[in-house]
Amino acid sequence: MQEEHLAIASIPIQQWGALYDEKEAMAAGTIFRDLNKPFFAAEIEKKDIKEAAPKSEEQRERETLLTKIAETSFLLDDLTLYLDTHMSDTQALDMYSQKTKERDELKKQFAAKFYPLTRDCIIYCESGGKFCWQDGPMPWEGACV
Amino acid sequence: MWIYEKRLQFPVKITKTCPKTAQMIISQYGGPDGELSASMRYLSQRYTMPVKQVGGLLTDIGTEELAHMEIICAMVYQLTKHLTIEQAKEAGFDAYYIDHTTALWPQAASALPFTSIEFQSKGDAITDLTEDLAAEQKARTVYDNLLRMIPDPEVREPLKFLRAREVVHFQRFGEALEKTKEKLDSKNYYYFNPEFDKGMMKTEL
Repeated sequence: MQEEHLAIASIPIQQWGALYDEKEAMAAGTIFRDLNKPFFAAEIEKKDIKEAAPKSEEQRERETLLTKIAETSFLLDDLTLYLDTHMSDTQALDMYSQKTKERDELKKQFAAKFYPLTRDCIIYCESGGKFCWQDGPMPWEGACV
Repeated sequence: MWIYEKRLQFPVKITKTCPKTAQMIISQYGGPDGELSASMRYLSQRYTMPVKQVGGLLTDIGTEELAHMEIICAMVYQLTKHLTIEQAKEAGFDAYYIDHTTALWPQAASALPFTSIEFQSKGDAITDLTEDLAAEQKARTVYDNLLRMIPDPEVREPLKFLRAREVVHFQRFGEALEKTKEKLDSKNYYYFNPEFDKGMMKTEL
């Protein structure tokens, strides 16, 4: 149904295709294999980033959970933009609802164990009578993940 | 309404102070093709978009660009957090230091301050979406240039992520342009302005 015409830009509509798993998607910057178009100068370096100071058990646990939240959330970010232009794609819709449930559950767990990521998670904190919204490091400190 | 989520979309953990790198990267905060510019462009254009879905996409991408701005700011912050005066002088970061110490201020790598002159909100859906396609390409080129210049893997990983997002956004804006074209007459897409001459669109929106 798409037709090309003179004097206006045309972009083919993306078809649903193979996806990366959540960890790969973060590294690729997209969940869609078809949209991964890396820059050659970005591919030549070695990837290993050395771990700094040893981490406490609590920090390790916090980072594992926050990484999971980041990955699930990013999948949903990318999927949202896809759905914005593919509103009736059933595979994308199914994945959206499943992953949103997972994200909700992870955010609740994180609030209960560590600190709230969004204001609607404040109620899951065990903060002992204190407003916990300011708990945890600021995201730009690089302290977590 | 917006809701803040207390985490970065992509993690930033930079352990080495480098004001030189900070000065280059700051361009993606307040520079001509930076994330702040991108966000303001899309969030300004969305109100008058004739196709509702396209307004929705502009909202979502404009929101993601705010998250990208936060990633860039976190990088600049971490690169200069433990800055010494000697390092500032050696790296040519002294001029920035005089005006802002190590605080964040939106400017280009060339020290040009952030300005809305760098983007358009033109009130014509085809014009604006074509600008958005170009904007994503310009931002991608900046990330390409940064990746050529910067060797530190702790800095490169977030930059690679941000670069990849430009490619995805380009595809989505292209699809948004196709959605807009569907509502117009392909014999002459330019017969009227879809954003101003609303009554002339193919279907009620």
